[in-house]
Amino acid sequence: MIDWQAIIEEHGPTVWQTAYRLLGNDADVADCFQETFVSALGVSRRQQVRNFPALLTRLATARAIDQLRRRFRRPHGNGSPDDGSAVEDDSPCPAQQAQQRESAARVRQLLCQLPSQEAQAFCLRYLNDMSYRQIADELGISTNAAGVLLHRAKAKLRELFELSAAGLK
Amino acid sequence: MERKEDIFEKAVESLKNDPVPPGPAQELVDATLAQLSERSGRSGTEEFGDGMSVGKRLKTIRSFGRVAAAAVVLIAAGYAIGRSFAPRPLDMEQIQAAIEPAIGQNLLDETRQYVQLSLANGYLQIKDELSQQYRQDLSRVAIQMLAASNTATNELLTELIDSIHMAQIQDRQRVAAALEQIALNQLRDRNQLSIAFAALAVQTEDELLRTKQDMAHALSCALPDNPAPHEFEDPDNPNERSKK
Repeated sequence: MIDWQAIIEEHGPTVWQTAYRLLGNDADVADCFQETFVSALGVSRRQQVRNFPALLTRLATARAIDQLRRRFRRPHGNGSPDDGSAVEDDSPCPAQQAQQRESAARVRQLLCQLPSQEAQAFCLRYLNDMSYRQIADELGISTNAAGVLLHRAKAKLRELFELSAAGLK
Repeated sequence: MERKEDIFEKAVESLKNDPVPPGPAQELVDATLAQLSERSGRSGTEEFGDGMSVGKRLKTIRSFGRVAAAAVVLIAAGYAIGRSFAPRPLDMEQIQAAIEPAIGQNLLDETRQYVQLSLANGYLQIKDELSQQYRQDLSRVAIQMLAASNTATNELLTELIDSIHMAQIQDRQRVAAALEQIALNQLRDRNQLSIAFAALAVQTEDELLRTKQDMAHALSCALPDNPAPHEFEDPDNPNERSKK
């Protein structure tokens, strides 16, 4: 029997951070949080879970990317995650702060254009610092395949980013 | 390019380091737990079928039993019908004896046809190859002969040109010699002619003088008052001088 309360108390902040980093507003993050744990419940029924943090991180990433896709697919959605709840950091320069926020928003938007598995692999590696082996275990692929996936995801994202930057100019 | 990569890396870093407010809130945790417990309960109900009475279960089991008995009866009837209408087992030796010669004959015929076809194909192939080889050889020999005849013709032409050239040179030499000889002959003839003319002139002069003397003598004889014939004598005449 799985003690979900303990799991939520222990790994809930990680799930929250993972989802917040990608979604950026409380309402979407709350939905994503609940969907993540419901998905984890489904997974725990089908198979034995050996690494709950990794599983929850992967599920939170996947649900957050789905949420992002829905957000950017809305006809009148501007994709802005900012609901005023963003935390002010200690950056001394407001312009730099705004620029960082804009870059982060652009990366969020471009992540939606990647295939789901590549986007998940990218987020797990570069936002959650998971190792190749952990990513491979969570995605059910070999370590080499995870490496290839990450390389492709990064290359595509960089290309999209450069195109987007050129378009903005 | 490096700058673009830097921008991209910085964007990823800024996303990674994007400030996250503390969370989740306790309400969210409670709501999630409630949802999880609800889902666990629903799935348990669906899984184990709680709430079904013993009578219903027995009825279900009985209906399953009836269906199973009907299935058994159907299978047995099918088996019996199949056995009754099944053909007699075949005598394999008889069948083998019946079909073996035919199979052997068919096999022989097919093998023969195959061999004949193979031979025909091989013959045609060899014929084609030989004709092709013959054409190639013929072409090669023709090319070689043409080259050799060209070479020989060139040599002969060269010799002919040389001989014509030599003949022309000899002819030119002969013509030059003949012209030289003609010139010499002309010179000699001219000399001889001049000598002959000189001799003729001398003889003519002598004869003229003699004629004059004769005429003067004849006149003196006919006319005695006339001066002596020696008046007409020329002291420079060599004939007269020789006479004197």
